[in-house]
Amino acid sequence: MAALGGGGTRWRRAWLPALQLLRRGSKAVTRHWKAMHLQRQKLLALTEFLPPRPPVPPRCRPRHATEEPRQEDGYARVLRRQAEECLRGSRMVAVCQFNSLPDEDVATLRHFLRKHNIHLKFILNEIIRPVLAQSELRSLLPLFVCRNVLLVSPEARAREMLRVLKGVPQVVLLGACIDGTILSRQGVENFARLPSLEVSQGQTVAALSLLSSQTSSLLQRGPAHLTALLDEHIRRLRDTGGATEPPPGRSSGNH
Amino acid sequence: MASKVSVVLRPVKSIVVRFCPFEPNVESTRKFLQSIYHKKIQATNTNCEVTADVRHDGSEPVVDVKFADGDRLIMKGAHLTTGEMLTALASRCNAKDLKEEQKSKRKNP
Repeated sequence: MAALGGGGTRWRRAWLPALQLLRRGSKAVTRHWKAMHLQRQKLLALTEFLPPRPPVPPRCRPRHATEEPRQEDGYARVLRRQAEECLRGSRMVAVCQFNSLPDEDVATLRHFLRKHNIHLKFILNEIIRPVLAQSELRSLLPLFVCRNVLLVSPEARAREMLRVLKGVPQVVLLGACIDGTILSRQGVENFARLPSLEVSQGQTVAALSLLSSQTSSLLQRGPAHLTALLDEHIRRLRDTGGATEPPPGRSSGNH
Repeated sequence: MASKVSVVLRPVKSIVVRFCPFEPNVESTRKFLQSIYHKKIQATNTNCEVTADVRHDGSEPVVDVKFADGDRLIMKGAHLTTGEMLTALASRCNAKDLKEEQKSKRKNP
């Protein structure tokens, strides 16, 4: 009030009636609640801070029926191409469920499989699923649900693979595709018990030739039996003829 | 979440997980098998035998848990989630642990 009252000269203070009121009114800062001036009330109401409403998160918005086609990631494209090459160039593809295994055990497993030319490949489900859907291995699609690993090989070494996997219970064989044939776990075990291709070919040839050799012996059996019977008969006649041999004179006299 | 359920396998003797991987309802059972093989859970009991029985006969996925005191827990995983199966196993294991502790306290007061 002193600042307001003593701002100008004395004749200026008496000139402005608003300044006179300040003498008897209370100060701006009081210890009791003081009603706000109407103009101040209006100004504060006009300039009240309205915080901005937070935007609705996109997951709460209604989803459109047709989603826009997402642009394919370059890395995903590379992985997909690698998966396609891997499936195309391998004779045996085995799918196993991979449960957690220490790193050194994974390295050991990879080493033992590599000895038999079997490659261990970790694959993501979202990469392999579209690749399988477009190939003839779409029957293996239900296997790719949890964390999986592929065992691929250009040769069909099922016996060695099963022997290595027997020592690692954390890797569970689910199914395989060997030479274009989808096999379950039991199918792979049966396949492993089969003899090799050369041995089975030799067995087939032996079985076929056995039949033909039996045919020739069968055909010869009748005449051989007849020959034997005739020989026996002649021998018996000779024996009996020798026992009751006529005197040599009579036989010469007849001639 | 299934990964946050901590299971103590101390009273468990063996777990057999039987499923047919070509069926569409085996996801939760396979995730259960994956969770059981986690190193923290395996570290609670190294004598517990966990076996995966993979078949191709269209049978339903089943988890067969045998406890050390002879009890048996059979969970049919076709209509169960992984979290539910882990919670059920964890609650039973905790209950058996508590019983064992109370028995040992009574014996050695």
